[in-house]
Amino acid sequence: MLLTLTSAALAALALGQDIDTTVQAARGDRLDISSYGGDVSIQTWSRNAVRVVASTSSRGRVEVSNVGAVVTVRTEGRRGPPPHIDLEITAPAWMRLDLSGVYTDVKVAGLQSPISIETVQGDVDVSGGQGNVSLQSVEGSVTLRNAKGRIEAHSVNQDVSVSDASGEINVETVNGEISLKHVDATSLEASSVNGDVRYDGPIHDGGRYSLTTHNGDIGLAVPAGTNASVSVSTFNGEFKSDFEVSVTQTHKGRRLSFTLGSGSAQVTLESFQGTIHLARPGKLEEGEDER
Amino acid sequence: MSDQWTDRLSEYLDGELAPSVRAELEQHLLQCAECEATLADIRRVVGRAGSLADRAPVGDLWPGIAQAIGATPPGGTKAVPIASARRPRRWSFSLPQLAAASIGLILASGGTVLLLHPGAARPGVAPVQSPSVINVGVEPRAARGYDAAVADLERVLTEGRGRLDTTTVKVIERNLATIDSAIVEAERAVESDSANVYLNSHLAATMRRKLELLRQAAALISAAS
Amino acid sequence: MTRTGTGVATLQRDLTDRTDPDAVDATLAASGDAHAFERLYRRHVARIHSLVRRMLSDEEADETVQDVFVRAWQKLGTFRGEAAFGTWLHRLAINVTLGQRETLGIRRKRFLDSPAALETVPARRGGPETRLDFEKAIERLPDGARQVFVLHDVEGYRHEEIAEMLGLATGTSKSQLHRARMALRQHLDR
Repeated sequence: MLLTLTSAALAALALGQDIDTTVQAARGDRLDISSYGGDVSIQTWSRNAVRVVASTSSRGRVEVSNVGAVVTVRTEGRRGPPPHIDLEITAPAWMRLDLSGVYTDVKVAGLQSPISIETVQGDVDVSGGQGNVSLQSVEGSVTLRNAKGRIEAHSVNQDVSVSDASGEINVETVNGEISLKHVDATSLEASSVNGDVRYDGPIHDGGRYSLTTHNGDIGLAVPAGTNASVSVSTFNGEFKSDFEVSVTQTHKGRRLSFTLGSGSAQVTLESFQGTIHLARPGKLEEGEDER
Repeated sequence: MSDQWTDRLSEYLDGELAPSVRAELEQHLLQCAECEATLADIRRVVGRAGSLADRAPVGDLWPGIAQAIGATPPGGTKAVPIASARRPRRWSFSLPQLAAASIGLILASGGTVLLLHPGAARPGVAPVQSPSVINVGVEPRAARGYDAAVADLERVLTEGRGRLDTTTVKVIERNLATIDSAIVEAERAVESDSANVYLNSHLAATMRRKLELLRQAAALISAAS
Repeated sequence: MTRTGTGVATLQRDLTDRTDPDAVDATLAASGDAHAFERLYRRHVARIHSLVRRMLSDEEADETVQDVFVRAWQKLGTFRGEAAFGTWLHRLAINVTLGQRETLGIRRKRFLDSPAALETVPARRGGPETRLDFEKAIERLPDGARQVFVLHDVEGYRHEEIAEMLGLATGTSKSQLHRARMALRQHLDR
């Protein structure tokens, strides 16, 4: 069955909605984005306004509104669930972000404000963030750079990577690996079930650091001059250190403790059956067994 | 002897052997009837695979799809929504057998257990979104508390599974299986060394991970309804 | 036949060299035409269902195939027509079947079948066992070997592609294929 349609009619059908909308924002407003699927990319500018650029077929709609202290961007479907719609958003750097998506990949750069992002099947990639920063994906990976504050980065299935960040950090994944580089944590909890956990950053006096995994390896880079009480626990795994440590306590060979310097920070390293490896900064990758 | 060559027959058939190795194998084939026969069999398997006919599903899946995408099914027939068309398959859970003693030790070392509000799973009661964190007292009540919470959540997931797409379901199931294996391994370790504080707290922490993932899955189902 | 006129001629040139019903229907469906999408469904469901059935199992296939088509509907806006619609749909079906969003990119996956399952495909030698229908025999293979066999010998993907999709080394893909073929020998129709 051949359709007799003019190309103009077909082209008209293919066009839906082209959006390029800018709404004003007053200091203190927050940005609330709800996206069913697609790529959402957020960048910043110096204007007190939010610009949304998107194009969607006639099956979907993008709604942009500014009510009260909230700028809302929402994707909708005319019938049934919305199609995947890519959103390009530009917002002021001070603007707090709340984003919730399902099949949504998120990329954010430049915000200096609290950020909360949740997606199900999508990767989260953020450069920026201040205050409460919470990034979550179920299926996808989470990557965070240049953030400071109370940081939470969680994935269920994939890797979580945090770099050039500072503050109180909580990182979790079940299946993925955790990589923490140039991270200045005052307190750190990093936990995986299947994957490796690696930390390369200062170990502050009085700080608490906990790296745990079940199946994976632990890697900790220890700067010279660190003051820490270190407790290493494993059931079936191994411990190796690139520098000399004098072990103060051993429990049946599966748990050992040692002190570095004054012992001020508390460091807990646990891998049920992997290798726990201490190295000097920058040397963490060397000597790791390749899988 | 022939085993060494048997294992390379597929590569040979697919043209993936280096010329010198291929030549050696061909020499061997001239002398080894068994390998020659095996090769002929493999050829037939490949041929059979390549000629398999495509077969449409027994039922018409379109009405369920039409409903999911918001279109009216043809003829105005009532569409079978995908959710109810799915048989409520059991999630692949394996509840660990918990020794009451180890639970007691877990809680003594300061663990908190997240419990759903007890009314959550009963019909007619709106599910509570945010679980209450309860510092549970001592042993047997606590063991029942954890098991009950897990069972509640598993029920929610079994019933609501159809609202999630299969990719999400697979991701959750696989990760639950990962955590379950870790729980089993941790339990065995505790059994072998029951006074070990690390092993007990690791078991507790891994059990909490399971609860958290189950809660996360339940929240996804709730959001999808 | 179509009526002639510059409009229609332009249409044909815009879409493909020939009048490709898939391309036309994909464009219509992307703008919301469910009838066009149903036509695509009817044209492709047998192939997709067979792929999914062989990769997973009979009982999981219906539900997964529905998900494949729902996902295709959602993502139609991103289908730019660089590949044939059938190829695009096929790839999407594999993604959904393997329980992942994308097969592109190297992701170190830890979801391997248990070593026992990968290594021991039962070797049946002789014996008066009932021969299984070939397709049933495929279903009985362990997951990893079955997926490699279906993707390589049934669907025609190369080991490099399969290795990437399943998160395996190419060598593992080859050895899994060989084991699958060896196990299936017993179930050829003779």
